[in-house]
Amino acid sequence: MDRKLIGKRVVRNEDPRLLTGHAQFVDDVHLPGMLHAAFLRSEYAHARLLKVDVSKARQHPGVVAVFTAEDMGKDWFPGPPLVSPPPTVKDVVFHSRRQVPLAKDKIRHAGEAIAVVIAESRYIAEDAVEEIEVEYEPLPVVLDLEQALQPDSPLVHDDLESNLAARLSQKKGDYEAARRQADVIVKRRIVIERGAAAAMENRGIVAHWDAQSEHLTIWDTTQAPIPIRNGTAARLGLSEHQVRVIAPFIGGGFGPKIMMFYPEEMVIPWAAKQLNRPVKWIEDRRENFYATTQERGQIHDVEMALSRDGRVLGLKDDFLHDTGAYDPYGLTIPLNTQSHNMGGYDIRNYSSEFKVVFTNRIIATPVRGAGRPHGIFVIERMMDAAARELGMDPIELRKRNLIPPDAFPYEHQIIDQAFAPLILDSGNYKAVVDKALEIIGYEKFIKEEQPRLRREGKYVGIGVVPFIETTGVGPYEGARVTVEASGKVNVTTGIGTQGQGHFTSFAQIVAEQLGVKVSDVRIVTGDTSEFHWGTGTFASRGAVVAGSAVHAAAKSVRQKVLKLASKVLEAPEEELELEDGAVRVADIPQKSISLGELAVLANPLRGAVEPGTEPGLESTSYYGPQYGATAFGTHAMILEVDPQTMMIKIRRYVVAEDCGTVLNPLILEGQIHGGVSMGLGNAYYEKLHVDENGQLLNASFADYLLVSSTEMPRIEVAHLETPSPLNELGAKGVGEAGAIPVPALFAQALENAFYDRKLEVLEMPLSPNRLFELLREAQENEKSV
Amino acid sequence: MKIEGEYVFDAPREEVWKVVRDPEVLTTCVPSVQSVSKVNENEFTGEIVLRIGPLSGAFGGRVTVGNEVPPESCTLTVEGTGKIGFLKGVGNVVLVEQDGGKTLMKYSGEAQIGGKVASVGQRLFDSVSKGMIKQGLDKLNDILVKRMAA
Amino acid sequence: MPTTFDLTITVNGTRYERSVEPRTLLSDFLRHNLGLTGTHVGCEHGVCGACSVLMDGQPVRSCLMFAVQAHGHEITTVEGLGTRDELHPIQQAFQEAHGLQCGFCTPGILTTVKAFLEQNPNPSEEEIREALSGNLCRCTGYQHIIEAVELAAEKMRG
Repeated sequence: MDRKLIGKRVVRNEDPRLLTGHAQFVDDVHLPGMLHAAFLRSEYAHARLLKVDVSKARQHPGVVAVFTAEDMGKDWFPGPPLVSPPPTVKDVVFHSRRQVPLAKDKIRHAGEAIAVVIAESRYIAEDAVEEIEVEYEPLPVVLDLEQALQPDSPLVHDDLESNLAARLSQKKGDYEAARRQADVIVKRRIVIERGAAAAMENRGIVAHWDAQSEHLTIWDTTQAPIPIRNGTAARLGLSEHQVRVIAPFIGGGFGPKIMMFYPEEMVIPWAAKQLNRPVKWIEDRRENFYATTQERGQIHDVEMALSRDGRVLGLKDDFLHDTGAYDPYGLTIPLNTQSHNMGGYDIRNYSSEFKVVFTNRIIATPVRGAGRPHGIFVIERMMDAAARELGMDPIELRKRNLIPPDAFPYEHQIIDQAFAPLILDSGNYKAVVDKALEIIGYEKFIKEEQPRLRREGKYVGIGVVPFIETTGVGPYEGARVTVEASGKVNVTTGIGTQGQGHFTSFAQIVAEQLGVKVSDVRIVTGDTSEFHWGTGTFASRGAVVAGSAVHAAAKSVRQKVLKLASKVLEAPEEELELEDGAVRVADIPQKSISLGELAVLANPLRGAVEPGTEPGLESTSYYGPQYGATAFGTHAMILEVDPQTMMIKIRRYVVAEDCGTVLNPLILEGQIHGGVSMGLGNAYYEKLHVDENGQLLNASFADYLLVSSTEMPRIEVAHLETPSPLNELGAKGVGEAGAIPVPALFAQALENAFYDRKLEVLEMPLSPNRLFELLREAQENEKSV
Repeated sequence: MKIEGEYVFDAPREEVWKVVRDPEVLTTCVPSVQSVSKVNENEFTGEIVLRIGPLSGAFGGRVTVGNEVPPESCTLTVEGTGKIGFLKGVGNVVLVEQDGGKTLMKYSGEAQIGGKVASVGQRLFDSVSKGMIKQGLDKLNDILVKRMAA
Repeated sequence: MPTTFDLTITVNGTRYERSVEPRTLLSDFLRHNLGLTGTHVGCEHGVCGACSVLMDGQPVRSCLMFAVQAHGHEITTVEGLGTRDELHPIQQAFQEAHGLQCGFCTPGILTTVKAFLEQNPNPSEEEIREALSGNLCRCTGYQHIIEAVELAAEKMRG
């Protein structure tokens, strides 16, 4: 199809608002009579809550109310389960334990909310929080995933027999048989630790109960406004139509803002209704470190069975997954890990069991990548270990095992996070590997540059890592496209947006169909009064699923436009063209009518219409994929390490990506750059340090290091396009792709930089300190050999 | 977190022991102590203001002396809570006679911190606590030296 | 009643007289007292740079200052750069180079860049990276921001 706008570097519609400081974020909402909330949070990670004395805080001048769990009475109950366990898998164990609005009786992680103070200003609220007196009985803390499953471990949830939250095992083929045939078995333990999503905007919520109209309006930093609306209505005993949730401009999501019913989301709307005054709560950065969900804690015991000529015959991966104090998000993350454990490789025999473990840490929910970086880290680390064991070039080993282009759709015979069969829809995995090798100049680097640099005393290594990303999962999204009398187009959809450029990419899709300017298409996202069916922005699905719904609605409006114009212009539909905001007859351009005039004709104010006529040039469509589309790519880097200080410099960074049809390369590249920066943080900078009592020790940006402009390399991006057969746009998601392969790539490049030492990286994140230790261990091992 | 160290007093062990077990003397030596009161021979309560990097706040606390073997050793248990968090510690203090009428104090213990003190102050806590201990012991030594001279 | 301080301040060319508590942060004052919500607060401890504004032309962290410290000074916030219909060349460059995604850190970056380009109208990539090292962005990986600054410098040189 000849495309005029899709695939073009169109600048963003939303930028002028953001650039001038006029875009509304949640903390920008200001209402008359608004009160401000601050939470008292537990100082202990695990404790009985003996007494909460709020009497002094209630007396504090300017304090309007202080609420504890007791004060909520019958309105105190846990949040809803977001994702239930997969019904399609046998023998699954799942104990659902959900977070509560305010802790009662027991504390399960440091930072858990105990009480809320609502006052005339945030300053006063925070002063009064300090006047609440709490008596705790500290309990032994559950942190280590293996110890947590020992019979003598303390319990996070006293009513359960153990800290096992869930267990699920999946099998493909016969791993044991593959193992018997193998020439080589490679075994490793791989440890992955937690990091923070650290969106620049902390969370926040404003709730306004209008007693006269009995209507609740909520502004929330959520990636899922519609589920928040439905859940809030259910919690408060209101009709869904009495609640409006607005997710305005959101300062970055990255996953934690899709977690539904944080304690504050349960407490603040309830309090606003109780007090009959608007209430605002804005998280501060320290709270964000221990009240906002995190991800990535897993321990893997992996085994790979190979033939001597480098065919992977089978893979076995049993792993533990840290869900934290509760498990509202079900099994999404470990299922994603299981789905990415085989990467883009044709592995016929696979066995994997995961155990999800309760610990005294904040709840784990998806963070950009959501279990996928773990799966890729595991398989790619194993590939490198196997290559060494076989004495084979690591890239050659990978190429021998990649799924060939003619094997798609490739069925994995396991289920993915959406409980749908894991089917890789389309791909040309070798092409992206070759592209990345070509751009970075792999052969030349290995043969010429690396030896030369080493002679100069420089430690420079190369890494090349292919990956896949399951994206665009169901269930569905919807959109409504309306041509207005002005000739401009309004589009509403149910998802929220956090910087992905939906105001532009969706406008391109619509403009392509209706022949209008991209800037004449207004997109509304994240307002339940505008569109109230849908689930949210997660799993790299916005452009694919909501984009496909927008596409379908736009096509349907196009049909309506053509049908009406055909009558008005007295010309057959096939001869009509939509250009420059008008419909015209192809060969007689002066015979035309503007879209605005057609919209007026489609909505007559007097007279009669034909039976069955729907008014307006408007259409609502929904799209739900059968299963997710799988994007893929290969990243390559050349990394220099200072062997004294362990400081690094990335000399080259290449991304060859294929996410199907590219809607807007400018936006796509931005998504990839951002993903890589987060992945680099996960690889070398961002680690949450927790002491033996479950206290987080680096809860500030001074101590928890995000990647800054001086660490980031310039990234070279090459696009390949293998369209998805699952949707008409041919699109696949890309939101998380940039982050997924980076830790695996970084580890490979590090090992390559120190090729003459026995360095093996089996953990993420690293740090300069940790790398120093690993190199010293490697040196000692060499000596002892 | 471990707290460990040694200090040499310019006074004999008996004298050192006396001041260590005298809360009125001891508290004048600990920097930033606001008040102290004796619950019984082995238990004292008091208030201390701590300044750790960007944080400062008052801690209400309790010190308990146990396992006392005069004039050789004892165990100190410290518990404090305040608006910026909590701290708890158990430490052993051992006094060893040295030549020339001096006394070596060895102390070692485990400290546990929580709340703001942990999440943003931890990096500095180590150096702050070391500094406070050093300052306190120096002052104690001054008192001892003066007493000996008197 | 807490004591208050009578503050006179010029923001984006407009003179304001307000009575504030001494502990009111400049960031809160701008956002909540003056309703200039373009200045964002990302960390409250001076690391992320989202709250950067210009005081007498120099970038400062408004979350690390009390409003009273700005008494008698001139402040420029993002609202003082350009308008939606007439963007400042730096703002234009950020749109053209896609130098923002969620846009939360952007106001602090724009004010920082304004002061930077006035001092260094023809910066190298390395100098730009150094100048931006005190502004964290979680979305862009900085590449398009750096390209936007290069483009802005070009536009402003004319």
